Amino acid sequence: MNNTRSKDNNIGQDIQLIKGGRSFFMTLIICLAVFLGATGVLILAFNRLISRHDQYLSSEICTIMSEKMNSSIESMTEAADDMASMLSAQNYESPEDIYAAIKNNVKSDYLSAGFIDETGEKYATEEEIAEFNKWELLKTAALADPVSMSAPYRSSVYGQPVITMFTNFEYDNGRNGYMFITYTFKELQKVAVTESLENDVEIWLMNAESGNIIQCAGPDEHAIGNWTNAYLSMKSINEKDIPTFTAWLERIRHLENNIGITYSLDNTFYSQHCSCIKSMPGWYVVVRIPSNTLSATMHKFRNYVISFLAVLLVVVIVLIANMYRISKRDNELLERLSTHDPLTGVLNRRAFNIAAGKWILRKKDSALIFVDLDYFKQVNDQYGHNFGDKVLVAFSDALKKNFSDSSIISRFGGDEFVVITEMNSVEDITSRMRQIEKDVSDITLTKDNNEQINYSISFSSGAARFPYDADNLPLLMKMADNALYEVKERGRNGSLWYADLAVDEDDPT
Amino acid sequence: MRTKIFSIIIIILSALCICACSQPAQKDKADSAPAITHCEPLTEIKDGRKNIYLIVKVIDSNYWQVIINGAKAAGEELDCNVYYCGTNIETDWKGQHLLVDEVLAKNPDAVILAPNDSVELASDIDKVHAMGIPIVLIDTAANTESFDICYMTDNLLAGQNAAEEMISQLRQAGYSGNDNVSVGILVGYAQSMTINERLAGFYQYWSNHAPEKWIVISDIMNCNGDFELGKKITAEFLIQHPELNGLYGTNNTPARALGATIKKENRTDITVVAFDYSDEIKTLVESPDYRVSTILQRQYDMGYSAVQSTLDILDGNTPSIKFKDTGVVTVNKDTLSDPLIREVIEHN
Repeated sequence: MNNTRSKDNNIGQDIQLIKGGRSFFMTLIICLAVFLGATGVLILAFNRLISRHDQYLSSEICTIMSEKMNSSIESMTEAADDMASMLSAQNYESPEDIYAAIKNNVKSDYLSAGFIDETGEKYATEEEIAEFNKWELLKTAALADPVSMSAPYRSSVYGQPVITMFTNFEYDNGRNGYMFITYTFKELQKVAVTESLENDVEIWLMNAESGNIIQCAGPDEHAIGNWTNAYLSMKSINEKDIPTFTAWLERIRHLENNIGITYSLDNTFYSQHCSCIKSMPGWYVVVRIPSNTLSATMHKFRNYVISFLAVLLVVVIVLIANMYRISKRDNELLERLSTHDPLTGVLNRRAFNIAAGKWILRKKDSALIFVDLDYFKQVNDQYGHNFGDKVLVAFSDALKKNFSDSSIISRFGGDEFVVITEMNSVEDITSRMRQIEKDVSDITLTKDNNEQINYSISFSSGAARFPYDADNLPLLMKMADNALYEVKERGRNGSLWYADLAVDEDDPT
Repeated sequence: MRTKIFSIIIIILSALCICACSQPAQKDKADSAPAITHCEPLTEIKDGRKNIYLIVKVIDSNYWQVIINGAKAAGEELDCNVYYCGTNIETDWKGQHLLVDEVLAKNPDAVILAPNDSVELASDIDKVHAMGIPIVLIDTAANTESFDICYMTDNLLAGQNAAEEMISQLRQAGYSGNDNVSVGILVGYAQSMTINERLAGFYQYWSNHAPEKWIVISDIMNCNGDFELGKKITAEFLIQHPELNGLYGTNNTPARALGATIKKENRTDITVVAFDYSDEIKTLVESPDYRVSTILQRQYDMGYSAVQSTLDILDGNTPSIKFKDTGVVTVNKDTLSDPLIREVIEHN
């Protein structure tokens, strides 16, 4: 009930001559949505651009790295071949002498070295000879042209994966043997590693036929020398990339050289490239790099842009909100000025017409009262306009006091007020009017010379009932005005309901 | 007022949306807590003797029980205290990581470890070695040099033996180089160094020695150490590849899965080469209806030699080699009655 009353009280205040509050927020929301959409599109486009750029660049890096690795292996084999040629030029006669010379000349980074003579006899330690038999290394030696490398195997002596390199060795005037050098697989890591991408690039050796892979370099140093198989590891990559990966393996099986591939694994995009190793027939150097390595910097830049946009958005929103607050305050002021009488604070005539129009639409029993101060012109003439204004204010205060609930009060003209109010009964309204008469019958006002005088305001009023006397506003106002007119005709200082006026007119007396 | 609140919510959501766009969601990589069996005495514990701690891969396993038996025998014969512990899953390297810490807290004289993961446990091995405690590896090597000696099967070679046996058995089954032959592979765990070496060895030998028309199906099955999963995917594989002639199981769990599935489906036409002597494989090897071979490791020797070696090291002797291949034997119907094979089987 209170809520209803409170809502009704605001009827006069609800008049908005300047509209736009709701549309402003709607515009703001639409702008925000557009901004977010545009930002989303920007981020997606940026990500896609980075991704394409990375794929291209990482593929190029893989190619370069695999070629570098391959040429490093070539350098190692050439160095071994040069040493064999240099020793061969000494034209040693006995294999024992060659073995001793090799042992003396081998660099410390090799695990072991030795000699195999023309008959296949091995000049090496017992453990090394056991390895030859175990891993059929003589078959690899036979492939030397002029150098061959074994597949990686685990050395019993060192417990680590090793590779043995064989080079042709001519001795004793035309006899052919082989010099062999064994070194740890980690030596390959040394030639493979690059400082700039040390933690990102993975390098493997892969056998084309079997798909066997052994790691040479990678971010985890403990994984160096680990075996896996391409056909098994293929199962963990993104399903849609498996056919491409299978085709890539098939091309390697057919010994194609310099083949690249791109695929996703655990939400990371990888570029991978392989190239043949000349000294290891059927073996490839494979280099893999996650493309996000390259995009890390770009992602930082993107995040800076996003942060900037977020800050910009907040600043713009705060700015707009502030501007809106100021604009709203000004609008409210303007609106009040345009709808209220600046002297008394009640609605002006124009605003009353709008508010009363809305009021009528509620179809509630109401009373519309026209009030006219009696002989107000004389007040102005006698006491001055300032005093007259005070009279008007005092009178409007009395109206507000008695019609504060469910009413619209307006200063309709100079000394003319109009009230439209909910009507429980005619008696209730009449009683309020009587109270106003009492309230203004003896008031104290201050003149310009600060002299306080007791003053009695008298007024005339005419009232009409909605919907009993009229069911529309113009007619209702006219009837109330007629009633007022009649009061004035009768000498003022009185009240009359239009209904009573009609009865009086019908009364033959 | 409601519009204002709505607007504020929109603004906050906008800022959150923008922030959310910038970073992909992070996956929660937390794994479930490992199940481990804490240190128990394996031998009688006497004061004044060296305390050697054995950390195996799987406590509840026939294969690992043989290694434990070997270590126990060595402890009793060579007069030292041996304790043992392990995990319940072969892939549980986190559990072993906890066990290494537990063992180190007990001030061991030496540690024997069978690493569940050659890469992940490498730093734990480095840590033990850095503390001056002898550490001997068994069954599986690790990607570090910080161990004193490793007793294990050379799995690359064992894989080659398996491929050699597969080719031999397929030939005995009547297939020639002109026939189309296809072989499938079931592995136990894609990250295991042991399994990967057995796989690499198999492939290596196969690509060098099998006839050109004999192929290994590139769709390698992986049961991730799960016996039930292994049986399921093997059954599906048999349906997908009706032309299949051979199956290779790289270790105990896939071998059991292959054996159980082959028996259930009564596929006497398929040659199986597996590892270890589980009940499922034993039944098929001994059955005249199936062509099943298995590669047996000398794991009893691993356990025994590891304890013996730790005592040697504690006596101040440095091993001359870092890696001792304990070797394998191939068991099939023809070799089943061989006394040497029988001895290895007895230990299994």
